[in-house]
Amino acid sequence: MKVLRHLGVDVTFPENQTCCGQIGFNGGYRAEAADIARHFIDVFESEEHVVVPSGSCASMIKVYYPQLFADDPEMQERAMAIGERTHELTDFIVNVLGVTDVGASFRGLVTYHDACHLLRELGISEEPRSLIQNVRGVELQEMAKSDGCCGFGGLFAVKFPEISEAILGDKLENIADSGAQTLVASDCGCLMHMRGALRRSGSSVRPLHIAELLAEGIDDSAPQRR
Amino acid sequence: MPTPIEDPNKEAFLERVRTALGRANPILHTPDHPSLKATTLRQEEKVRTIQAKVIARRAQVVSRLSETATEASWSVHRASGPEQAAAIVADIAEHARAKNVIRSAEDIFKRVDIDASLRRKGVSPSVLAAGRSRRRSDLKRMAFGADLGITGVSYAIAETASCVVTPRKGVARMASLAPPVLVLLIDEEQVLETLDDFFAITRLQYQQNRGRSPNYYNFISGPSRTADIEQTLTIGVHGPGEVHMVLIAN
Amino acid sequence: MAEVKTRQFKSASAKAIRDPQIQRALGAPFAHFTEGRADIIAADFGDESWEAMRDQAAAIKSHTIERLDYYLDLAEKMVRRNGGHVHFADDADHANRIVVEIAKRNNVKTVIKSKSMVSEEMGINDRLESEGMEPVETDLGEYIIQLAKETPFHIIAPAVHKSKEQVSALFEKWIKSTPTDDIEKLCGIARDVLREKFAEADMGISGANFVVAETGTVVLVTNEGNGRMTTSAPRVHVAIAGMEKLLPALEDVALFLRLLPRSATGQRITSYNTFVSGPRAGSDEDGPEEFHLIFVDNGRMRLLKDEVMREALQCIRCGACLNHCPVYRKVGGHAYGWVYSGPIGAVITPVMTDAKEAKDLPYASTLCGACRDVCPVKIDLPRLLLHLRHRSVEGGESERSSTWAERLLMRRWHNAMKTRQALEGSSRLGRLLQRPISRKGYIKKLPAPIVSGWTKSRDFPALADRPFRVRWREDLDQQAGG
Repeated sequence: MKVLRHLGVDVTFPENQTCCGQIGFNGGYRAEAADIARHFIDVFESEEHVVVPSGSCASMIKVYYPQLFADDPEMQERAMAIGERTHELTDFIVNVLGVTDVGASFRGLVTYHDACHLLRELGISEEPRSLIQNVRGVELQEMAKSDGCCGFGGLFAVKFPEISEAILGDKLENIADSGAQTLVASDCGCLMHMRGALRRSGSSVRPLHIAELLAEGIDDSAPQRR
Repeated sequence: MPTPIEDPNKEAFLERVRTALGRANPILHTPDHPSLKATTLRQEEKVRTIQAKVIARRAQVVSRLSETATEASWSVHRASGPEQAAAIVADIAEHARAKNVIRSAEDIFKRVDIDASLRRKGVSPSVLAAGRSRRRSDLKRMAFGADLGITGVSYAIAETASCVVTPRKGVARMASLAPPVLVLLIDEEQVLETLDDFFAITRLQYQQNRGRSPNYYNFISGPSRTADIEQTLTIGVHGPGEVHMVLIAN
Repeated sequence: MAEVKTRQFKSASAKAIRDPQIQRALGAPFAHFTEGRADIIAADFGDESWEAMRDQAAAIKSHTIERLDYYLDLAEKMVRRNGGHVHFADDADHANRIVVEIAKRNNVKTVIKSKSMVSEEMGINDRLESEGMEPVETDLGEYIIQLAKETPFHIIAPAVHKSKEQVSALFEKWIKSTPTDDIEKLCGIARDVLREKFAEADMGISGANFVVAETGTVVLVTNEGNGRMTTSAPRVHVAIAGMEKLLPALEDVALFLRLLPRSATGQRITSYNTFVSGPRAGSDEDGPEEFHLIFVDNGRMRLLKDEVMREALQCIRCGACLNHCPVYRKVGGHAYGWVYSGPIGAVITPVMTDAKEAKDLPYASTLCGACRDVCPVKIDLPRLLLHLRHRSVEGGESERSSTWAERLLMRRWHNAMKTRQALEGSSRLGRLLQRPISRKGYIKKLPAPIVSGWTKSRDFPALADRPFRVRWREDLDQQAGG
């Protein structure tokens, strides 16, 4: 919110919103997911832009809603229409607002994790990196296999915890090897997963959502009008 | 040889395929697949273009074959003519300390006299083909007992360093398979540029031969190899571990 | 039919994760495959060309599957015209009967085999042994697992999980060879044993990487030379092909020969490509007198019937999806419980065997999509996995397998997410319930069934005391109130 307002966007939080429905969809519960999706579309349809701070939710809306309503042409059309206006946060800032420097500042070595849905379903990888690199004081240090899955996979993490943990182990090793003190990602699921393990292991690596990084120090910088 | 009979289960099987696909009737006409629909005339045109290209670019194509082959662990030898080629083969045999050498019975050996060049080194090559003094059942034993095999090729493909070996009368499969060292004699005129070149030509031969082509041919694109144990590469398993290409200029 | 152990996926995968040798095997050795593939694609084609090739291959395969009856018919006519026999086997048992009948008619004692995954489905080796014959795998990796009495660990590299010490021990036990940890020596030992078998074998059984319908040609893609041996040395050659292995035209082969080896092992081309269209000609010096091609169904019709799952039949068995799958790279091939593993295994096994027995397989994926990125024929594997998950919830009697606990959880989630009031109500309840177990905003141990797995190794974030919604509303109220 802070970042978007700083960039001069008139942003609101429609309070009737609930969820994008991906958990149900990925679990195979399409009927339930369709219900939740219908609610989402009802709530957000009238908005000019919908900004989503999580890659997997954004991909659910943009890529999978049309599939979910394949048998319902009317809903499918509405889904496609709203999909066009929906963007993940960094996608919105860079590709809609045309901004790569939000005016933030943060001291430190940062490494970025490419969340799977954001990268492969939505093709977003350059945008977050441009934004990170333009934060004053930040040095972006790529980890090995930044595009490797973190092992969350929603339901997967609780259905197959040993496998999830094993995959996460590799990711944490790559993060540690990068030498970065701060881990940045644009997906809430990935972050919850990685943060959970980093915390349990007592690691000093600080996981941040990219919005948190971009919000650093912008109070002190001049607000940017579009 | 009588045509083998149709499997009694075939029709039921195909019917189940059609049912699964949701189609009531069989497809009666050739589907719209360009490579399948091209007529013999079209194919002839295509092959003429390929042949012209290969002739015009001969030097580059042969050079590319040489490079790709070296990358693929072939030993590549360039011979200015048949005499030098024969000498090279004898050198290879000497270097490999080969005692039992076998070769195929092909036209190329009429020009490249390896029998003579090998005899000068004290080795007498045997021809791996049935004849008056040789029975088919002996061929396998001869092949498995050989140290070195020499054959010609039908083509050599520069893109992949693949030598096409086509067994037929005089050319046993085992000649290029059983011995641990293999030498292939290639005329520069036999070199094609790409896999597409080869398949286009082969298809034309198939069409021109009323839908028949050799029932068996092989690409040999390097030495026999495996990495099945701990992903560690070992050269020379069941096929030849040492492969030589002798490229003979015109 | 090969034994189906899909029910044990969870325990088998946990066991594999705890096995240091398997973990070692799934690590660095696989970089050969993944980096090799990336390097050769970059060197030979570049991303754009490679994409175009994938598109073309996907189109050809899709075209072929949609007309499978036509191309099977064409291939059959051509092979027979070339003097070969063609058989259509409905299932593994049927295919085994055909092979045994051919072997008996020819007084076969020793059978040499080159790599065939379909023959693994059939369990043909056990069957031949029960008939008093001696089947010998000649692909080094297959030979090793034959001695170990195991199934393949990987589609391309069946014995990749074995260390050289384990291989040496196997050879010592079964061939009475001298122990050695020199890999070249181990290969030499196998070579000598198998060379004898090549010479004495009566029948060779091969797989078929592709079957060209236009000319009736079986294409084999191999490296060791055993593929050539199997199809040249014995009197009888039997090629076994999944019914989906067809390509329409001879000229299509070039494209697939470019895609397959690079995707599989990072090679430009394998050492040997063998093209068999029938038995030897009368004037040939050597070669089999009898050639048989067996097309096998064994559950593929079920994939074909499903308009979504049909895409899985485009697979050319390159193994790239396995190599890039974060799950496969932790659990390996045996955990999947049948012949095929990794993403493609997870997709086809439930349909070809039993969806209920294999119910874990479609869920054993994070849906990361790495497999889809590397599939040379662009199979949308995540989409197929989602489809199978949907079927396990809302499908027919033979497919439905979701547990009551999970359905309950989903119903709760569904109800909670339907309206904002439900969501906020659930959140309030959650904040209440979590008080005893959360510290400093985190929960160390979740009690519920299903979700407790999370906290075995990770902290779980507690619901915030002041969720965003509350702060937002307070903010709005503040602005309104001035």
